[in-house]
Amino acid sequence: MCLQVKNLTLTYPGSSDYVFQDLSFQLKEPGFNSLFGPSGVGKTSLAKVLTGDMGNFTGEIGPEGLRIFLYSYNTERLPDWSGIGKHLEKITPAGKQERREELIWIFGLKDCLRQRFSQMSLGQQNRVNLLRYLLQDFDLLIMDESLANVDEPTREKIILRIKSLYPQRHFLYISHNVVEVSKFCREIVVLRGAERHPQSIIVRGQDARIDREIDSGRLNQTMLEIVSASS
Amino acid sequence: MLLHRRIYQFLIIYAIGIAFLLLVKYALDLSDYVIPGPVDIWHTGAAEFGRYFSDVMNTLAVAVAGQIISIFIALLVGITGRQATWLGSFIKVAAYNVQAYPIVAIAPIIFILLGDGLLTRLLIAAMICYFPVMLSVIGIMAEPVADVEHFYRVTGRMRWQLEVKIRAFENLHKLTTVIAGSATLAMAGTIVAEFIAANAGIGFSIRIALYQSNLAKILVALFLIGITLSVYQGILELVGVLIRRAWTGK
Repeated sequence: MCLQVKNLTLTYPGSSDYVFQDLSFQLKEPGFNSLFGPSGVGKTSLAKVLTGDMGNFTGEIGPEGLRIFLYSYNTERLPDWSGIGKHLEKITPAGKQERREELIWIFGLKDCLRQRFSQMSLGQQNRVNLLRYLLQDFDLLIMDESLANVDEPTREKIILRIKSLYPQRHFLYISHNVVEVSKFCREIVVLRGAERHPQSIIVRGQDARIDREIDSGRLNQTMLEIVSASS
Repeated sequence: MLLHRRIYQFLIIYAIGIAFLLLVKYALDLSDYVIPGPVDIWHTGAAEFGRYFSDVMNTLAVAVAGQIISIFIALLVGITGRQATWLGSFIKVAAYNVQAYPIVAIAPIIFILLGDGLLTRLLIAAMICYFPVMLSVIGIMAEPVADVEHFYRVTGRMRWQLEVKIRAFENLHKLTTVIAGSATLAMAGTIVAEFIAANAGIGFSIRIALYQSNLAKILVALFLIGITLSVYQGILELVGVLIRRAWTGK
């Protein structure tokens, strides 16, 4: 299973400025990878191109062996007409009830299942939203700032557990947190803007896991690589 | 609270209107035949209250039925017209074009075809009430709530019932306000129908008072219409608040 983007060129309707011009990269292995870059560089646009939500581009998207792409983002909301426990029950596919309970526990949401979405904190809202995506069938899940407003220890716990629960799935984590992407991601696609060549650089991350400590020197090195690639 | 506010707001406006008329009467030294004095209005009110109250109730019953019919049809058309399909676009364009034509202008045709009975009053009330409600419903139903709908769409769970439920829920305040506001239109439609040619209702009584040039009777009728409509709208708003509270938990 491999995600390949080849010569992707995209402009927004009514604009002659390129968002991407001949953008190419390849993520060969499943796991926790990242799209990184400054605001407005096209991370969300690329995510939407990958999931088919945005057309009008040229080039090739080669999702070899990948069928189901999902895109989650941090401003999504659940309908507020009932508690989130009921919503989660309704959207849980058959046979995944145990996984749901496990994720609820990992995400620290056990005590707020009776609450409606609008009654939760922003961090809780983002966790619930991500949780419901993880219960679906997917080959690639794009997480666009999906853990924004979640405190650091909880975010770390969640990411590490997602990695151990879904080792064969592709994740594309969009975040502005250089420490986080350096620490947890296997490969980081640093987007640099359409005017620069190459438009993207892939940096190898530290790919932290529950059972693997990471070296702080190497982490610093990765962060430096990301910063120099994006600047 | 809403009910109280509606009633005293109407009483203030009515009192201002009467005061203005009396001011004109005394300033221009007009006779009681043109603008009756306060005692005259009071006596007319006492004499006609029972009959006019019954007429207003008759009109209100037709208006309520017309409003219910118009809301039902508006929801049906609004839900169908929300779709980005050929039929949906056709319904939307047709609705916007047809509503631009004043319904009152075609009321005489309805009277000629259907006579001056209940059905005609009901039809005109429903038609006058229907278009503004339908335009609001189409506007609400055609506007995606992307942040809520995205998940259901990408996971293949979106059904038209869920889509309608999400959009109605997200715009509940707008919907209940439009429905409460349409009560005035339904009442106005019924009175207009009665005024043109019907054989019952408060509009019919106002027409008779007009032929008699009896402003006191018209003022009494206006008082009863206003107070009844205020109570009805207040009740609708209250029901709207209760529905919102039950559904949203707020």
